[in-house]
Amino acid sequence: MKNLSIFLCVLLGFQLIDAQTDTIQLSEANLSDSHLLRFTETQRKTVLSDSVLQRNGASLSGLLNFNSLVYIKENGAGMVASPSFRGTTASQTAVIWNGININSRFLGQTDFNTVNPLGFDHLVIKPGGGSIAYGSGAIGGSVHLNNQMPFNKNTENEVLFQYGSFQNYGLNIRSRYSNEKISLNLILGRNGSDNDYDIEKLDRKNLNGQFYNQNLSVTAGYKFDSKNLLKFYGNLYDGERHFSLISPNSFKTKYHDYNTRSMIEWNGTYGNFISNLKLVHLGEEYRYYPSLEAVNYEFGKVETQWVKYDLGWRMKNAYLNLILDYNNAQAKGSAIVFAKRQTGSASLLWKQKLTSKLRYEASISQEFSEDYKAPFLYSFGIKWNATKNYEMRFNSSKNFRMPTFNDLYLPGNENLKVKPETSLQAEWGNHIQLADFHLDVLGYYNAVKDFILWVPNGSLWYPENVGEVRIYGLESQLNYTQKFGQHRLEINASYGYTVSRNEESKKQLIYVPFHQSTASVGYSWKRISSYYQFRYNGKVFTDSNNQNELKDYSVSNLGLELGLGKNRNYKIGAQVLNVWDEAYENVLNRAMPGRHYNLYIHLKFK
Amino acid sequence: MKKLNLVFIAGLTASSVFFTSCSNDDDTTIDPEETGEFSNGVFILNEGNFGSSNASVSFFGDNGVLQNGIFQSVNGESLGDTAQNIFLDEDKAYIVLNGSGKIEVVNRYSFERLGTVSSGLANPRYFITENGKGYVSNWGDPSNPEDDYIAVIDLGNYTVSATIPVVEGPDRLEADNGKIYVAHSGGWNYGNTVSVINASNNSISSTITVHDYPNSLLEENGVLYVLCGGKPAWTGEETTASLYKINTADNSILTSLEFPVGQHPTNLEEEEGNLYFTLDATVFKTEMGTTTLPPNPLFDAASQGVFGIYGFAVENGKIYVGDAGDFVSNGKVFIYSNSGNLLNELSVGFLPNGFASND
Repeated sequence: MKNLSIFLCVLLGFQLIDAQTDTIQLSEANLSDSHLLRFTETQRKTVLSDSVLQRNGASLSGLLNFNSLVYIKENGAGMVASPSFRGTTASQTAVIWNGININSRFLGQTDFNTVNPLGFDHLVIKPGGGSIAYGSGAIGGSVHLNNQMPFNKNTENEVLFQYGSFQNYGLNIRSRYSNEKISLNLILGRNGSDNDYDIEKLDRKNLNGQFYNQNLSVTAGYKFDSKNLLKFYGNLYDGERHFSLISPNSFKTKYHDYNTRSMIEWNGTYGNFISNLKLVHLGEEYRYYPSLEAVNYEFGKVETQWVKYDLGWRMKNAYLNLILDYNNAQAKGSAIVFAKRQTGSASLLWKQKLTSKLRYEASISQEFSEDYKAPFLYSFGIKWNATKNYEMRFNSSKNFRMPTFNDLYLPGNENLKVKPETSLQAEWGNHIQLADFHLDVLGYYNAVKDFILWVPNGSLWYPENVGEVRIYGLESQLNYTQKFGQHRLEINASYGYTVSRNEESKKQLIYVPFHQSTASVGYSWKRISSYYQFRYNGKVFTDSNNQNELKDYSVSNLGLELGLGKNRNYKIGAQVLNVWDEAYENVLNRAMPGRHYNLYIHLKFK
Repeated sequence: MKKLNLVFIAGLTASSVFFTSCSNDDDTTIDPEETGEFSNGVFILNEGNFGSSNASVSFFGDNGVLQNGIFQSVNGESLGDTAQNIFLDEDKAYIVLNGSGKIEVVNRYSFERLGTVSSGLANPRYFITENGKGYVSNWGDPSNPEDDYIAVIDLGNYTVSATIPVVEGPDRLEADNGKIYVAHSGGWNYGNTVSVINASNNSISSTITVHDYPNSLLEENGVLYVLCGGKPAWTGEETTASLYKINTADNSILTSLEFPVGQHPTNLEEEEGNLYFTLDATVFKTEMGTTTLPPNPLFDAASQGVFGIYGFAVENGKIYVGDAGDFVSNGKVFIYSNSGNLLNELSVGFLPNGFASND
């Protein structure tokens, strides 16, 4: 079966995977990240609805592995997971929470195993540059975690309980109430695992890999009148992971994450002017325990206050948008005793519909910082609906990533001369629709300059702007949906090819696969639905000379779900994960689980 | 406390481009019966990346043949995580795997595994033998200054037979005349002592205070030489480096030669009446009896593109320099004559940090 599926991929010219493009209505009223609605038409974005989120549980890395071409480097199941889009790095990937960039100030990236996707209503995956609206790090692409703010829905409640192999458990609850004036939404989750899967190669179990996390999301909205809407978004994530052992006698360590995010937002619509003010507080804190009993843990803590003002002017066939942004971050900890940074930015965004078939977007932005000189950013995109069946997109942008607190302030390793990385990129997308087939083929090019690399000098390491990396590649995506009677069939397949080369050495960057692919087939009939998910990762080099590699692998999941109750409001489901029991590593000597199982119950009630 | 910040931060974040480390499952397969024994040449210890279990041993024969990954090819298993130290004694080689918390014991001529010390160690660092017993320095929990110890190994069954609690950060060891000298580099902090252990009763007989960060030591003709690197500038409390000569008969300090402010040397070695040490990428040589420090280096490995010397040894009239390169690719070893002329360049495993001559 596995061989058959690979054969089919080759036949189709696609390696399989699953990219679910659910039809979710992103609308202004219930979405804080309004930029996603208005200024991303010339790029591709994939929306993952809550029904898709539930399939891959409480792990963002699992979700994106099977639903996107984002490459996740995972240090063993549940451990540190760094994402990358299109041959870039984890710190060139922005994670956006309700419109706000939440990448760690210490590291410039987000660990995808410290985000519970079930704490959000939907996720948007947007490959390609986005620094104008989302700031530092939006070079390879961005992942958007959004909470919705529905009105007039009365009460809705959901409970998702899952239990599986290795004592994996998850309880995620959602409760909503809204009338015409008020919207209250609460999402609670607790997930964990003993994570003691068998590692065949070593003839032992995964040791000291247990973890748990809890997540709370609260959103509340109040409509003063038809023009003014006040919203609150809150998110709290608290998680503890033991770090799995490389060897049975290795020292046991653990790590604790505690992240808080809160935002008050005032939305005003006055005629053709749309005003949006956000006041944000972000807190990130880690504790590293060099031994399980350690009293002297290492820690770091950053608090960021943020003001973001967004004014839009709606014209006939055009839209002008001004964004002003100021934030102030303060860090303290055992490594960086104290550091602070103020940054501000001003951006101007414009889009216009020239004809019913042709539209374009053009934007500029400048960030100001105490610590570094940010580059002037610009972006231009065009979309042409040439025929009913063919659409063409082009987008080019300059983006950047700021040096992190660790780059600048880590004692003994600091280098205040580090400049931001800059990226100049272009992509050309084509969308073809034939009957029920949607095919999207896209080519891209990205030149990243002043790549920040840590280089050894004597016994110490310093960050330096050493490299230039050139990236080019291809992404294609195929979607087919068919309904006949009570049957529904959906097929998704995607394939990505990436060359990401260090211009000096002419070598591929480590941990960037040339080939990636995903596929999914979903079939439902009456109350029964089933699906098959597939992911292929091509070989990666694990050293900068491209002499050592990790072999390619493919992983598949199989799921079956039964809808019960009058309106199919109660579902029970079973999953076989890694169904072909592939023994694979995605980071050197960090084995991933073989075949394992999961059961869940999903209840919806008023 | 801060020394290893980078190491764990990097490890934790799997930070994208460089630290994320790499394998070295070298394809070179060696049939020991075909190639004979590893009897004439030098073992090169390749530390590997912390948390990646890609440590390895290379062997460079006197015949000019280099073999990488010899533990793996002889024993069919990878060596482990973070090889810190290799020590040869009688017909055995002892390899301390810091990250794996174990010591692999192999026959030094065939490299066949004889046993493993697999329990009773906690962040083991260096190994030495004296009076038929093994001694291993252990940091324990590196954030806890109170739990460091020397493990005593029964070499008959490769188990820990006793432990000797010591002050924080016991690192390099030297043994002579029934005594074990322990340099306390200080672990995550900076130490400034050398403990003297009486091997007959496994107790500390004396503690010698030296400059900060004693990073290497050796004994010759009743004199203990200790190189203290001093605290680097970034600590905010920089101290000077110093080379100590200590009379082993009464542990009295004979001389202490201070380095200029800002110099932090390491890797003290001895051969044929000369001392060698390194400073960044340069190698210094001086007579053992010297009363002053050499003003100029013997040579600068920067000519070979070395940023900082990662491993260093002087064996049989040759100087061995290990270069870890960018730390995420195979390292290099440069071999020089004892007057500093480059003789060989080898491509070895990841992070070559140590050498042992097998004659």
